[in-house]
Amino acid sequence: MKPFRLHEPTDVHEAASALADAGGGAALYAGGTELLLAMKSGLLAYDTLINVKSIPGLDAVSADGDTVVIGASATHSAVECDPLVRKRMPLLAEVEHGVANLRVRNVGTLAGNLCFAEPHSDPATLLLVYEAGLDIAGPSGTRRITVGDLQTGSYETSLEPDELLIAVRVPALPAGMCAAYSKFGYHHRPTLGIAAALGVKDGVVTEARLALGCVSPVAQRLSRAEDVLRGERVDTLTEGASALREASRLASEDADAVEDMHGGVDYKEHLVRVFMERTLLRALARNGGGDG
Amino acid sequence: MTTREFKTVGTAVRRVDADDKLSGRAQFTGDLQVPGMAFCKLVTSPLPHARITRVDASRARALSGVYAVLTSAELVNMETHYGSDKKDRPVIAIDKVRFQGEPVAAVAAIDLATAEAAVELVDVEYEELPTVTGIDEALDPSGEPVHESNVCHEYGYEWGDVDAAFRECDRVFEDTFEFPMVYHYAMEPHTCIVSYEPDRIRLWTSAQHPFLVQAEIARLFGRQLDQVQVVVPFVGGGYGSKSYTKIEPLVTALSREAGRPVRLALSVDEAMRTVRRHAARGTIRTGVMNDGTIVARECTGYVDTGGYTDNGVRVTERFGDRMPGPYSMANVRVKTRGLFTNSTPAGSYRSIGGPQAIWACESQIDVIAHALGMDPFEFRVKNLVREGEEVRRGRRPIEGDLEYALRRVADEFGWNSWRPGPTPPGVKRGIGFACGVTNSGASPTSTSLVRFHADGSATVYIGSAEMGQGSRSVMAQIAAEELRIPYGKVRVVASDTTAVPWDRSTGSSRSTTLMGLAVHDAAIDIRQQLLDLAAEHFEAFPEEIEAEDGRASFKGESVAFAALVRNMFGGSGGELMGRGYVTPKHASGKLRQDTVFWEVSIGAAEGEVDTATGEVRLLRYYSISDPGKAINPKQVEGQDEGAAMQAIGHTFFEEMLYEDGQLLNPNLVDYRVPVFTDLPHEFETVLIESGNGPGPYGAKGVGEGGIVCVAPSVANAIFNATGVRISTLPLTPERVWRALHEAGQEAG
Ligand SMILES: Cc1cc2nc3c(=O)[nH]c(=O)nc-3n(C[C@H](O)[C@H](O)[C@H](O)COP(=O)(O)OP(=O)(O)OC[C@H]3O[C@@H](n4cnc5c(N)ncnc54)[C@H](O)[C@@H]3O)c2cc1C
Repeated sequence: MKPFRLHEPTDVHEAASALADAGGGAALYAGGTELLLAMKSGLLAYDTLINVKSIPGLDAVSADGDTVVIGASATHSAVECDPLVRKRMPLLAEVEHGVANLRVRNVGTLAGNLCFAEPHSDPATLLLVYEAGLDIAGPSGTRRITVGDLQTGSYETSLEPDELLIAVRVPALPAGMCAAYSKFGYHHRPTLGIAAALGVKDGVVTEARLALGCVSPVAQRLSRAEDVLRGERVDTLTEGASALREASRLASEDADAVEDMHGGVDYKEHLVRVFMERTLLRALARNGGGDG
Repeated sequence: MTTREFKTVGTAVRRVDADDKLSGRAQFTGDLQVPGMAFCKLVTSPLPHARITRVDASRARALSGVYAVLTSAELVNMETHYGSDKKDRPVIAIDKVRFQGEPVAAVAAIDLATAEAAVELVDVEYEELPTVTGIDEALDPSGEPVHESNVCHEYGYEWGDVDAAFRECDRVFEDTFEFPMVYHYAMEPHTCIVSYEPDRIRLWTSAQHPFLVQAEIARLFGRQLDQVQVVVPFVGGGYGSKSYTKIEPLVTALSREAGRPVRLALSVDEAMRTVRRHAARGTIRTGVMNDGTIVARECTGYVDTGGYTDNGVRVTERFGDRMPGPYSMANVRVKTRGLFTNSTPAGSYRSIGGPQAIWACESQIDVIAHALGMDPFEFRVKNLVREGEEVRRGRRPIEGDLEYALRRVADEFGWNSWRPGPTPPGVKRGIGFACGVTNSGASPTSTSLVRFHADGSATVYIGSAEMGQGSRSVMAQIAAEELRIPYGKVRVVASDTTAVPWDRSTGSSRSTTLMGLAVHDAAIDIRQQLLDLAAEHFEAFPEEIEAEDGRASFKGESVAFAALVRNMFGGSGGELMGRGYVTPKHASGKLRQDTVFWEVSIGAAEGEVDTATGEVRLLRYYSISDPGKAINPKQVEGQDEGAAMQAIGHTFFEEMLYEDGQLLNPNLVDYRVPVFTDLPHEFETVLIESGNGPGPYGAKGVGEGGIVCVAPSVANAIFNATGVRISTLPLTPERVWRALHEAGQEAG
């Protein structure tokens, strides 16, 4: 790996200025589980790394009303084990537990996962159904975007070169929503990720949030499949139910699957169909039990 | 005379290296600091096949902190090529590159950062050549061949009248099976430090065969053997990847240029471009009678040896030796070819050619059994080679009772009483069986020296490299047993060519059998000397003396061995030396016959297929290990389970993927190796001690057998569950799903 300078800013503003000053020659560095691997293999090279972890307080996980605010240097393990997360959004804790392996979770951050914009990310998919927001800081202040606005392509985000993600804001699912997440694959990273959250009132699906990731460069919500489920009676949504089949079919049609080492397009589309139905059934089985 | 009971042999003693390894004190090559040591980085070819038109290292040489840059221009006053069977590998690429990642230049600098910076300053120009990827392209004569031709080696043998047998039999089956390129993933990638000095060359290296490295370096640089010292510290896993000579010649040549010691430690990425297992294609034609008797087998196949021969000659041969299987057949014809392609050179890997051969052999056995309506287990038993029969004509007869072994595994696994039980919709369960015999032991040549000290302790000198298999502990057990002293009083010094006597190699499951025999004999040599001294002491005949627990006794009186040694030298010091020579002539030529021994492997698997996704879960796996005599039963299990676990990799997910000669997954995120969560809940080694191996106490090797039966038994289980035959590895969910899909057997 080429030698680099390590900049250790003490606040967000200093980090943003350092990024601006470097004009592309610097990168933010959190856990380094992605960045350093890419630098070691020569895929990326930077003169300066700006250590996000040196900014005090950015590792905090805190509550803002019903929203859990996860600081940019909070690791996957910190999120997974946080009492607030476990209590209010057990599905997030469950999914974080399933990310990578213990060594990666202990140093890798949720923010780093999102900002690296690697297409095979669990949280990038899951957070779409939580409708999470992101706090982005730049030299001129802070702005807020939705998690869906961040990733623009494979390894590409909408962040300006002098901006950094400072917090991930995850609102708890509204009361009465049940949710589940499925991942599939034998590689280290998932081949497919599907998140489903269903709001149920008086035995009828009132809200449906479905997200699909990993099969295409960018995780997405599946609005056509969501539409199919809204208004369905939950007691009819059993294995093989036509609404489930239809939602799964539409999900597969809208998957935008691409071929990569994880599989061919037809296989991925097939997996989407299989796992959409399985995930919906798992979510429905949790009906009444909250998001976990 | 009553037979004596073993004291340490047969016991799972604590490993002699356990404390060092657990505490982190154990030293691997990468831990060593040699004064004045420079750091090496390689300039490697980005192209898989190209002529080198220009290498200009002048800018790199001018960089401050750079001691030397090695290019082919510096390969003067030395031999330029090396290799175990064919010396076709240049120390560093000369005129042409044959795989992506082949070293074209090597930098030695004051530190790694400087070496890395200098690598960027080496200018290389290439003229690209068309790439030869895979077996089919290697067979296509139209392209530019990798070497003079793409054929590395041809092998074959035959007995009986194969053509007549095929004409006369009831049915003929022909099937082709493919095995992927896989990588060993030793946790320690190849590491080497060399100090080239005027009167000697010293190497510290992660090598499995220190004496073969010594001989190769001596030949390349025109030195005598006594001028080349090869020290092998603990090796962080070998599995064949560190067999023969790998990066040592390059580092030696660079040290000669730099005039100082040089260290090269490869990354995983670079190690994946240093050696791998041969991809293979095996086609088997089998002629059978309707009653299930196999009358003829014709096995043809190819192995892909990559850019250079490495161990391609032997692998081509072993692939052919191992393909017909452990069956009694009157007519056999085998033809195998090793082919060059533009990819990482392929060498030894745990059971060379074995998993490839037995994948084809044992998959087809089930195809035939099914077609004949026979239970695949009974079909195997019916055709099995019997004890004492020549499983390959003209070679050592099979030593064990294979039918007994097969039945033991089937019983313990519960083959006959097995039922799939209830499964969720779309999930199907099945069981599969496989068995194989592999010719092992390499060459029956090892030596050992034992020193018996004046305080009753002993030091054993062996050439075997300790790479996790536990050879030092087993050798200490054997020496302690034969010296009649406690295990704790033996120390083992290993793999330093200036200190220990010659050994051929640490591979082919041979060390316990052959080095074990050398240590056994050396210890007995000393025991005889002690008995002679005791006889003198007691004024008795040596045969009348009892030796046990560090003492010699006669008629109720005893004397410590230590006292006998001290008395011999007339003071407080002195020592005895014992030697053990293992040669083909050993024990009246017992080892002379080709193959030193047959390693037996049997596997039984229960698997579960999610027919909607193609995912296969291995639920239970039973493997057999017949070490003849388990000198250390825990280590035997460790070898068997380790080998089976490694096989889970090529069975389910491991495959080096090449596109246009570029390796797509040269890292452990994209190249998936097995982890503990991949193990089945029931993972059992059935231990059989048939007591008839050529090693000490009837022992024989077990380092490799466990790796060969996993893939075919799993594919057979998938067939049993779904009726779908998959003939290409690895059995990834996508591959399984596609096969099910084509056969109309998928759910959902
Ligand atoms: C073996 C392995 C297995 C894995 N398995 C999974 C898996 O199953 N599921 C999954 O979802 N992921 C998986 N991952 C990815 C893992 O989650 C990420 O590696 C990790 O979360 C990245 O975080 P980090 O802090 O190490 O990021 P770093 O490597 O430090 O940074 C990653 C990128 O984000 C940028 N960055 C970091 N912080 C910020 C910030 N605050 N603002 C803007 N940009 C920033 C960096 O500049 C860099 O480009 C796996 C990774 C590995 C190595």
